[in-house]
Amino acid sequence: MARTKPKLSVCLTSRVGIKLKRGKAERSMPRLTLSFSAIPPLLVIALVGLPVFAAIFAGVSTGDGATWTHIFENRLVPYTATTLWVLFLSAAIMIALAVPAAWLISQYEFPGRSIFNWALILPLAMPGYVMAYAWADVMGVAGPLQTQLREWTGLSARDYWFPNLFSAPGLAFVLASTLFPYVYITARAAFSMQSLATLEAARSLGAKPFDLFWRVAIPVAAPAIIGGLCLALMEAAADYGAADFLGIQTLGVGIIRSWTSFGEPNTAARLALMLIFIAGTFLVAARIFQGQRGTQQTSVRWRTPQRSDMPVWAGISAFALCTAFLLICFFVPMSRLIWLLLEHQARAPDLMPLIRSTLILGAMGAATAFVAALVFSLATKRHESLRLGARLVAAAGYAAPGAVLGLGALYILRETGQSLSGAIAIGFLIWIYVSRFTSAGVEPMQATLARLPKNLDQASHSLGVTGLRQFWRVDLPLIAPGAFAAALILFVEILKELPATLMLRPFGWDTLAVRAHAYATDERLAQATLPALLIVLAGLAPVLLLSWRLSQSERT
Amino acid sequence: MSALASLIADHVTRRFGDHLAVDDISLTLEPGKITALIGSSGSGKTTLLRLLAGMERPDSGRVLSGTTQLSAPGTFVPIERRKIGLVFQDFALFPHLNALENVMFGLRHLPKADRATLAASWLDRLGLSHRRDAYPHHLSGGEQQRTAIARALAPEPVAILLDEPFSGLDPTMRDQVREAALEAVRAAQIPALLVTHDASEALVNADQIAIIDTGRILQVGPPEDLYRKPSSLEAARALGPVHQIDCDQLPEDWKQYVEPSAKTVWYRPEALQIADGDRFTITRTRLAGPVTELELMLDDGCPVYAACQLGTVLHAGDRVGLSLDPDLLLVF
Repeated sequence: MARTKPKLSVCLTSRVGIKLKRGKAERSMPRLTLSFSAIPPLLVIALVGLPVFAAIFAGVSTGDGATWTHIFENRLVPYTATTLWVLFLSAAIMIALAVPAAWLISQYEFPGRSIFNWALILPLAMPGYVMAYAWADVMGVAGPLQTQLREWTGLSARDYWFPNLFSAPGLAFVLASTLFPYVYITARAAFSMQSLATLEAARSLGAKPFDLFWRVAIPVAAPAIIGGLCLALMEAAADYGAADFLGIQTLGVGIIRSWTSFGEPNTAARLALMLIFIAGTFLVAARIFQGQRGTQQTSVRWRTPQRSDMPVWAGISAFALCTAFLLICFFVPMSRLIWLLLEHQARAPDLMPLIRSTLILGAMGAATAFVAALVFSLATKRHESLRLGARLVAAAGYAAPGAVLGLGALYILRETGQSLSGAIAIGFLIWIYVSRFTSAGVEPMQATLARLPKNLDQASHSLGVTGLRQFWRVDLPLIAPGAFAAALILFVEILKELPATLMLRPFGWDTLAVRAHAYATDERLAQATLPALLIVLAGLAPVLLLSWRLSQSERT
Repeated sequence: MSALASLIADHVTRRFGDHLAVDDISLTLEPGKITALIGSSGSGKTTLLRLLAGMERPDSGRVLSGTTQLSAPGTFVPIERRKIGLVFQDFALFPHLNALENVMFGLRHLPKADRATLAASWLDRLGLSHRRDAYPHHLSGGEQQRTAIARALAPEPVAILLDEPFSGLDPTMRDQVREAALEAVRAAQIPALLVTHDASEALVNADQIAIIDTGRILQVGPPEDLYRKPSSLEAARALGPVHQIDCDQLPEDWKQYVEPSAKTVWYRPEALQIADGDRFTITRTRLAGPVTELELMLDDGCPVYAACQLGTVLHAGDRVGLSLDPDLLLVF
């Protein structure tokens, strides 16, 4: 396996401009050698890592000995417990949603399959806070569900129990229903990429469809599914908007509250450390798990598995299941928002400046983060010595919620004597986006790279194609499906980003997310619906394109 | 145990769009015998295997195990209920299971302790007892292949189908792996199909060879018969090189072996042996393993091809005589 036995020859020959001749004795010990091609990834590592470490440094360096007990007992323990509980619940919900859907869609033909195939990615366009606003209204005492229930039963509002969205399970449900596409996409890809022969071998050994799923498909796809789940959970951990709106005391909320309301920047930094630790643990666990079980097949023929037909009753059940998922995670909240908008005919505020600033920031941030992610993925493939550091830094950047990175940015600003205004503020905001989201772009790229036969590098070199030419002719086309996914995920994520934007935006650069959240938390939900819907719509286009490209790349 | 039943394809046809991948093929795989199915890529050999295995449904025709219908109009026993062992070119071991667990996979009908014992004994038989705990990505190609064979044979299948099982292996170990693997297959006394594009593999190892081309079986029979008496030029070519010579160009004393009506004859290089004389000039020699292939020229310029044992020292430019074994002349 490439992971356990570094191919030194790859590292050496891929360097631009430097040719080394080494004896066999030396070859066994990879050395940290710097070369031109190592400079861009090192720069990216610095760029991504700096805000995180600035924030951590800011928290640790300011002494506050006496308040530590207070922080520990009143902040750290309760916030951490709540966060872990929410994450656990949302992981369970995401797996329950994503894995069955991915399996059905990748393996079987049933009514509506080709629509569900892409439609189940739609919730990705919906930020957690928008989902929270919509479901809070649907499930509220005056909402359509409870009203209908009272009409049917004749009970009054105090006579019955109804699930309360303003609770930890409520938050878990909201986060899971927006983030499960991460798991769905990776699970579906893993199921589709499985060697058809493996499934056929299992069937020839007597495995029934149920066995295929539990004994072959799930274990083989587990690393990919856990990878996707980690991504989603880190995202969930960094949520601020939904938890803030629902009043759940997660670490994300705690960090901002400590910083703004309580005036305790050190508490914020400590809570952030805990959050980074939690997210890092997820990542490390996933890596250990992946390392144990090599998934690289020596397969020489890759065939897309053919989907099998289902009996009518099973097909209808699959259809019903996928329809239910789609309604819950997208169409019910969306149609509620549209309903609210039409019902209240809210006087539309002038949204054009909001839209403009949202698009400009999103495009600039995504482009920068994309380049960073590309440099990262390719460099860590080649430079063994950079891999660990790069991963740590990317993970730290991604796991750190926007608020912490914002804090880091403010610290750097102060230390360099700059003020938060105009172009400098925008520059810092883009920087924070890159720091925060580069690893979201790296994940799909590396997932693509990991599936490629490991001899491609050597094949390319043997044909005299190395360096930049190899990048254009081999790496880029191969990484393209992953890279495309990466670019779109980056754009959508930046568009939806709330806390860092809230903290760092210069005057006049309110984004749709900032304004929507301001309205919603002021209980002016009617006014929040239009910017919220626009966020979803803007996010929809890349998500649709993403799902189209995904299905294309699976077909070839 | 129903191991004594033949696996039979009976007038099986399979279309992909306009393309007739398998065209009305009938073939009987007898228990205890290895049938090699040889043909070039795209000839339909893998499709035939998939039809037999139940990975494809035939458009018409039947697949039977003895008298039991597996595929027939209105009947289709799915692959998981056929009890037919499969071995794939890419091994298709389960990457999340170690060698022992891979072999245990098909033994779910047994108590757990027996599964491990039986699987271990299969690995022992194939010389893999020391690799039980290794995961597929730590096994060499030959080890993966033998594990795959053990996995296919352990549940005592009613037949075993091997899809180019040795083509992915290192040639130096191929013979060794092949021997161990096919010995185990033979010992199982079940019908076995060995799909290959390697004629020598088929000739050496099979009890019966079926030559397939563009979806049709050209000829079926024991290797010896097929090699010596191919029914068509295509069948002859499938098993090794054949060369053409116009009857007019044959030396006078060889014309007696050929029917006067024939215009062209074909021969395998072994038909011509070095003999006394100096009628032929060697234009090229080529060392091909145990034999040396010779390209020679008759005085009138007609090229002929022969093979001689290694050890006969010959060089381009030498003049030699050739004797003809008339049994190895082919006329179609």
